[in-house]
Amino acid sequence: MPSQSLARRFLFASISLLFILVLASCGSSSPSSGSANVSITYLTHWSGPQVTQLNQAIATYEKSHPNVTINVHTVPFGNLLTTITTQGNSANGPTIMGIYNLWLPQLVQAGLLAQAPATYTKDIQQAYPASVNSAVQVSGKTYGYPNEVDLYALNYNRALFQAAGIANPPTTWSELVTDAEKLTKRDSSGHITQQGFGIINSWNSGVVHPWLSLEESDGGQLLSSNHQPLLTSKAAMATTNLYYQLIFQNKTTDPAMNQANASTTGPYLDNFANGKTAMIIMANWWESDLQAAMGSKFADVGTAPIPVGPDGTQSHSVSYSWSTVVNTHATQAQQDAAWQFLQWLNGPQSGQNGSSAMGDILMGMGILPSRTTDLQAHKSQLNSPFISTYVAEMPQSIPFPIVLGGDELTTSLQKSIESVMFGQNSPQQAMTQAQSNVGQILSQYYS
Amino acid sequence: MQIQARKTSAHPIATAGFLTPGLGLLALFVVVPILLTAWISLHSGSMAMSYSQLQWVGLHNYTIIFQQSTFRTALINVFLYSAANIVIILPLAVLLGMFLQQTSIRAKNVLRTVLFLPYMIPTVAVAIVWGYLYEPQYGPINQILGWVHIPAQDWLGSINEAMISLVILNVWQTLGYYVVIVVAGLTEIPQEYYEAASIDGASWFQQQLYITLPLLNRSLAFVFVILTINTLQIFDPVYVLTQGSPVNSTDVVAYQMYVTAFNYGQAGLASAMAMVLLAVILLLSLAQLRLFRSI
Repeated sequence: MPSQSLARRFLFASISLLFILVLASCGSSSPSSGSANVSITYLTHWSGPQVTQLNQAIATYEKSHPNVTINVHTVPFGNLLTTITTQGNSANGPTIMGIYNLWLPQLVQAGLLAQAPATYTKDIQQAYPASVNSAVQVSGKTYGYPNEVDLYALNYNRALFQAAGIANPPTTWSELVTDAEKLTKRDSSGHITQQGFGIINSWNSGVVHPWLSLEESDGGQLLSSNHQPLLTSKAAMATTNLYYQLIFQNKTTDPAMNQANASTTGPYLDNFANGKTAMIIMANWWESDLQAAMGSKFADVGTAPIPVGPDGTQSHSVSYSWSTVVNTHATQAQQDAAWQFLQWLNGPQSGQNGSSAMGDILMGMGILPSRTTDLQAHKSQLNSPFISTYVAEMPQSIPFPIVLGGDELTTSLQKSIESVMFGQNSPQQAMTQAQSNVGQILSQYYS
Repeated sequence: MQIQARKTSAHPIATAGFLTPGLGLLALFVVVPILLTAWISLHSGSMAMSYSQLQWVGLHNYTIIFQQSTFRTALINVFLYSAANIVIILPLAVLLGMFLQQTSIRAKNVLRTVLFLPYMIPTVAVAIVWGYLYEPQYGPINQILGWVHIPAQDWLGSINEAMISLVILNVWQTLGYYVVIVVAGLTEIPQEYYEAASIDGASWFQQQLYITLPLLNRSLAFVFVILTINTLQIFDPVYVLTQGSPVNSTDVVAYQMYVTAFNYGQAGLASAMAMVLLAVILLLSLAQLRLFRSI
């Protein structure tokens, strides 16, 4: 009998513990209720000095808003969307989230993002250029404060150009092909030891954005206005043929030297930084990565507009942007505090010399801010040899289409382009396949 | 057995009390998630939606995934990856196990430890390090190959070599674990059998063939099943090093599930992929166990 009594007590204790756990978990779902103090979380993929700068800005803000506490939560870029989708559905999840705008329609459709209140919408519309504003809108509604803008340019190694006797970077595709040939070195077995032109692989944006920048500089575009892919167009075929020529006919590009990893670094970056790649098309944000990897040799890096194709009229670059948005599942007090903080963080009073604190943080990474007053405040920095090309190309840049299924279509197009780069398909086969696959993806969302 | 059953029925509350925590945790963390995944696989919607917002689509997600060339490729890739690992690891584990079992080897405990060490390192850390080792231009592996006049390989940057590079990484990391299981199996075999066989004139090879291998059957079955399960679920090295590239050469089912659920926001499709993988693992494991039971 004692054993039965012990078992009953054990069972009772187990049930009681379960009951307490259930009560505790119910109780934790209403943060800051009944209190004037508000605690919010800022989710970002930034790291190192940028997080320190953000925390400094937050400390300044908290002094003037003692009832608001802001905690910064950082995750690597590769885990950012996962964190948003898994934690964003709760009031305990992140309140403010830094997002890549390609994800915006998907996150709005999932009911994760709060629409900006009228006051803030007006502030956003007045402070940012129209093209940047459109990137934070879905169906005409504004969902966040825009921040960084990234675009692409030809990056080249001046020292290698000088050694090859080339005075200026290429401005057309034919010059690109010729220069790449002169800049390529091979060993006795024909293996490339220094490639003329690097084409990134194994990373969807790293593959698609440079390809699309070249395609747009040949007069092409990715999607029609009614969301149909245009991947069998003359420009798309010409761009893919250019890749084929550089890799297989002229052998001036070695795909194995251009691999990227999950951290968006890897051999493609190492080879450019170590003078083994003479030219590559990359976005402005990698400036700080190059500086860290190259040290004093960073002075050898030159930037130039994307070379223009035979049917193009001027250089174009893909541009893409980021924004900070607010979680619709946060409590009303948290949302109010979040919007107020974002207005301050992006406003001209929070930074130095008329810049916003956000502008200062972005410039610290070599990233272009999008707010008009930030661009003015950082005018002298934006004249640096590396970044000035990107700034000059901004008016001609074409934003990457913000559509539902955007990430999936980017990956699908990446795989088709890679199938040419690795000799699996001809350019014609690859683009026909891409047209079909991207069309199928978009048909799930647009009729 | 009857006595045991009688003992159990005599203390029903105690039995329930002792079994509840274990079975409860198993149900909560294994059975419920599987049932939930199966339920989500019959719906359409994103990971960020509440369950009430998901839309019923029946078996449509299963039809879609088998129509997708990416999923079919991922399934084939993971089978190839698993088969390559089994073909390499299983015989190596047996040979190394037999080698370490030799009484004449002095430093066998050190060797066992060295072999087991890589298994204790997190796979993500291992993958990052191997990413540098495989670097085509500066990686030490190609430099070593150069010393013996073997041409540099593209490793992860090659459509033909990327998958085998991941296999080599896994063999390096997990071989020690399987060797330890084999060694444990070998220690269970009584030495008298070998002594009797020696007296009867059996050679070393005959002893291994007719004594060691048959009596190692249960350990080998365990290694075979666990190796199959572990390799079919490969994710970390693919996520860290290749993201399924070049082209789709290292795309595997677990990685496809991840991007479909979290990057593309299609929880139903990802859950259908998970259920297919579960079914494959279950069927293969049962078939392997039956195979070893019949030997």
